[in-house]
Amino acid sequence: MGQIILGVGDFGASNQAGEVVKTFALGSCVSVIMLDPKTRTIGMVHVALPDSSINKVKAHEKPGYFADTGIPVLLQQMTRFGCHKRGKGMVVKLCGGANVMDTNDTFKIGKRNALAIKKILWSFGMGAVSEDLGGNFSRTVTISVETGQVTLSSPGRPNWQL
Amino acid sequence: MKKIGQDELQKIVKSVPMLSASASQLLQLTAKPDHELLEIVTLVRTDATLTARVLKVVNSAAFGLINDITSIDRAISYLGERIIVSIAIGDCAGKLFEKELSGYEAAGGDLWKHDLRTAIAAREVVVQSDAEISPDLAFTAGLLHDIGKALISDYLKDSAPEALALISSQDSKDYLEAEEQMIGFDHTRAGFELAKVWKLPAELAEVIHHHHNPADAVDQYRELVYAVHLGDNIAMLGGFGTGSDSMQYRLDPNYSDYFNLTPKTLANIMLTVDMEFEKLAQSLGNSGDAEE
Repeated sequence: MGQIILGVGDFGASNQAGEVVKTFALGSCVSVIMLDPKTRTIGMVHVALPDSSINKVKAHEKPGYFADTGIPVLLQQMTRFGCHKRGKGMVVKLCGGANVMDTNDTFKIGKRNALAIKKILWSFGMGAVSEDLGGNFSRTVTISVETGQVTLSSPGRPNWQL
Repeated sequence: MKKIGQDELQKIVKSVPMLSASASQLLQLTAKPDHELLEIVTLVRTDATLTARVLKVVNSAAFGLINDITSIDRAISYLGERIIVSIAIGDCAGKLFEKELSGYEAAGGDLWKHDLRTAIAAREVVVQSDAEISPDLAFTAGLLHDIGKALISDYLKDSAPEALALISSQDSKDYLEAEEQMIGFDHTRAGFELAKVWKLPAELAEVIHHHHNPADAVDQYRELVYAVHLGDNIAMLGGFGTGSDSMQYRLDPNYSDYFNLTPKTLANIMLTVDMEFEKLAQSLGNSGDAEE
């Protein structure tokens, strides 16, 4: 079975029924998942930080790294599979954005990522239908292109679906 | 779950191979505030294997040098102290760092990656907040902070769900306390015992012992312990924990007595950690002993 493995700041999409799209161990990073029922395409971007203004060079090299550049680049990628360029009809899911215990405001990177992502999605008229955000644990995400099923796993916990 | 007694812990610690003479001396030397690069060069020269490894790393594709560096002096000044220390530790304790941490449901190599990211992050915390302590010492301390996990992991086999349940029911305040409740010792205590056997400098032993509770560290080394406490948290948030215990520890907000971190500084640190890690992991191999 083919696998598209996405590292930090990577994005990708597939419409191959046998494939899975996967990203490992999201901590404060947030994975934005787009499922297009019309073209049966699955896309994902692994966002690490909210705002690309801190490093324009990095944003150019790896646009998926930041929320503000990552969502447009994922949408662009999805259009290659015939999806609508502003995401019309797409189902969006979010997961990740964890925190350490007793976090203070400075360390709420996961929360800032999630907020930034939601803002950008709103600017495209999109919103998440389901999300699994926050908490104090890491998440590995596996999406089956054939069924669109999103499976999450974390060491020491039973798997769950989103 | 079987508890480890003090005698058994001593047995475990004593079964761990000693550091090489040159690695041990390198850790002593680099912990001194007034050491010079020349002293590191002199020390590395006494160890032919280490010299060869340093030259191999500097000439690896990761650094993209046009002409090979053949002199050890140039190699060391080019790579910098922290990379030399990583090579030396990885060479003689690589097996420990590479070990699969089954007790934490973490794969082989995860500990080394977590330690390397903690090291880079602790160093960046010091650099980006203009702190007074040595950035390179923060790096070394980060590299060694979790060594105790390799010692107790086998005894924690299949315990991850129980540990997480203890924390979620608030019977344990964090994973450290859960370890203690389940097997009688936590990884910081085990690591501290190894630090004594390895005769590590006091600063490094203090970091290993108190990196989850930095307020308990002695005054003299507390700032360094806080730097690694932050580095550890940053590594876990970046998705590089060591399995089931990731993010199951408490952040001590009093780090702000030593380091001025804004959300923007933190974002910059996280970005630097990602970039530096890629380069270091590529040049050192996934672990320090990835010779083959």
